[in-house]
Amino acid sequence: MAKTSLEDFKALVRRAGLALTPEQIDEIYVGWGHVEPMFERIRSYGRDRAAEPAHVFRPDFFTQDAAKEG
Amino acid sequence: MTHIPTIAEAAALLAARKISPVELASQCLDRVAALNDTLHAFITVTAERAMDDAKAAEARLMAGTPRGRLDGIPIAHKDIYATRGIATTAHSKLLKGWVPTEDATTVRMLAEAGTVMLGKLATHEFAFGGPSFDLPWPPARNPWNPDHFTSGSSSGTGAAVAAGMILGGTGSDTGGSIRGPASLCGIAGLKPTYGLCPRTGILPLAFSLDHAGPMAWTVEDCALLLQHMAGFDPADPGSADRPVPDFTAQLGQDIKGKRIGVVRHWHETDAKVSPAVQKGIDGALAIWKDQGAEIVEVVLPSLFEYQAANFVIITTEGYSLHEPWMRTRFNDYGELLRDRMVMGALMSSSDYVQALRRRAELCALTAAATKGVDILVTAGAPAEAPRIDSVPKWANLQNPGFTNPFNITGWPAMCVCSGYGEGGMPVAIQIAAKPFQEPLLLQVAHAFEQAAGLRNRRPELATVPPQIGKTLADAGLTLPASDMAGLGAVVEELRAGAAALRGPRSYANEPAATFQLPAGT
Repeated sequence: MAKTSLEDFKALVRRAGLALTPEQIDEIYVGWGHVEPMFERIRSYGRDRAAEPAHVFRPDFFTQDAAKEG
Repeated sequence: MTHIPTIAEAAALLAARKISPVELASQCLDRVAALNDTLHAFITVTAERAMDDAKAAEARLMAGTPRGRLDGIPIAHKDIYATRGIATTAHSKLLKGWVPTEDATTVRMLAEAGTVMLGKLATHEFAFGGPSFDLPWPPARNPWNPDHFTSGSSSGTGAAVAAGMILGGTGSDTGGSIRGPASLCGIAGLKPTYGLCPRTGILPLAFSLDHAGPMAWTVEDCALLLQHMAGFDPADPGSADRPVPDFTAQLGQDIKGKRIGVVRHWHETDAKVSPAVQKGIDGALAIWKDQGAEIVEVVLPSLFEYQAANFVIITTEGYSLHEPWMRTRFNDYGELLRDRMVMGALMSSSDYVQALRRRAELCALTAAATKGVDILVTAGAPAEAPRIDSVPKWANLQNPGFTNPFNITGWPAMCVCSGYGEGGMPVAIQIAAKPFQEPLLLQVAHAFEQAAGLRNRRPELATVPPQIGKTLADAGLTLPASDMAGLGAVVEELRAGAAALRGPRSYANEPAATFQLPAGT
């Protein structure tokens, strides 16, 4: 059972710009109940405010062709 | 019984000119013709292209200029790999009719190695939603029992390799899509280190988790394919710019002194596996111990932790790709893809970044807990394949996958057949190594596979001589899998019996029954 109310869930769907039938919303709402606990797992670890994400930006990737051409 | 060669065996036969690439391709195409109506492993069969490739390989072999051990080997590609001039559908209505103008980098590399391309293979829609029954093509079926699931998303590759339609093929793996079908179809499947194999030209599911990799009958065959899939690709921002090692170099070397860590709590507590899977893991540990490895227990974060980060990253990255169609053509997707992928539309930007930060923590925790350990071992899948019509829509949310940790960490991991369950379907172990340690991973997996001796058994329907299966298919006869298996068992006896009946007799010998006019006529 999702913690988000069905009304709030419908608001999320509207905000995403999706045109779903009431049946589709009900069906996906069931799945949302399985997804919500995942948010707790990725958020609540008291991590350092400055902890970086796993992905890094590599500016040299976009200049490698230019570098090769000299 | 028809023996289906491994890639290594076929390479030796080709080199010795005991079989020609054309004969080998014809056998595989006959098996495709015989079995595809049952297994639905292929979406597109490129028979003409295959014969052209095979003839070219044959010419090179006859001229003494083969390109290597893959020259003349029949393969096929998951239908998210772009193939120049050949439809690439992602098993979706949305891409029906799309014909790429370029090959994916890995498709090109395997073609340059001399492989013979038989076609494009079924996948879960866009490598995410399946098994689906509301798409333009049916889902692939498991050759060990076509009423059962292949797992996915590289479902067609798993089915086609197990059934001997191809000797090897390509897959992709974002949460376990190579290793799942390898586990349930009883073959070997390798998800390499993130960045080892170029992703260019492969339709993405989630950029930062997508891996390309090989699937084949044996560990050695995976090594042979990987040799021609790995390499730096400047067009792929995740590609690793480092030398490609010889992936077969350590096969057969002893594993004495290697430290193998078993993540027992994953398969005994977090997601308890079936007795057959447990037996396979325990058996593998006993084999490696006998071979001189040291077995240690490793404790890592719960499977649920990796699953949470994996799912949030997949659906947010994936939804960003699909957003335009999701908003305008929602119902053109299959129900499973659209209902799962839409979760990404409902998450916040913070959810995505928190998942990336959690990913960094999980990578660090995994590395710290495995210092001094060479290899990790756990299950490939929780049990043998369920019926294909019994897979719940939210299965991948309700139960954590054993494969997710190595998408999150990017470590190489492979699944290898470790036995059979009560229903006669295969089960698998999963073996993982540190980043870019594929030669060691393959060495340890090969040592197990050789000792376990499980590679002589194929699905029964694959043992029907391909020409007989093709004849039945040409006659419009689609026999149930059980009947096909029965044919495989008796066909050699029938042939022998028929040969004996032809035995030497006089030219004029009459048959037992003669034509006779009724009396009085």
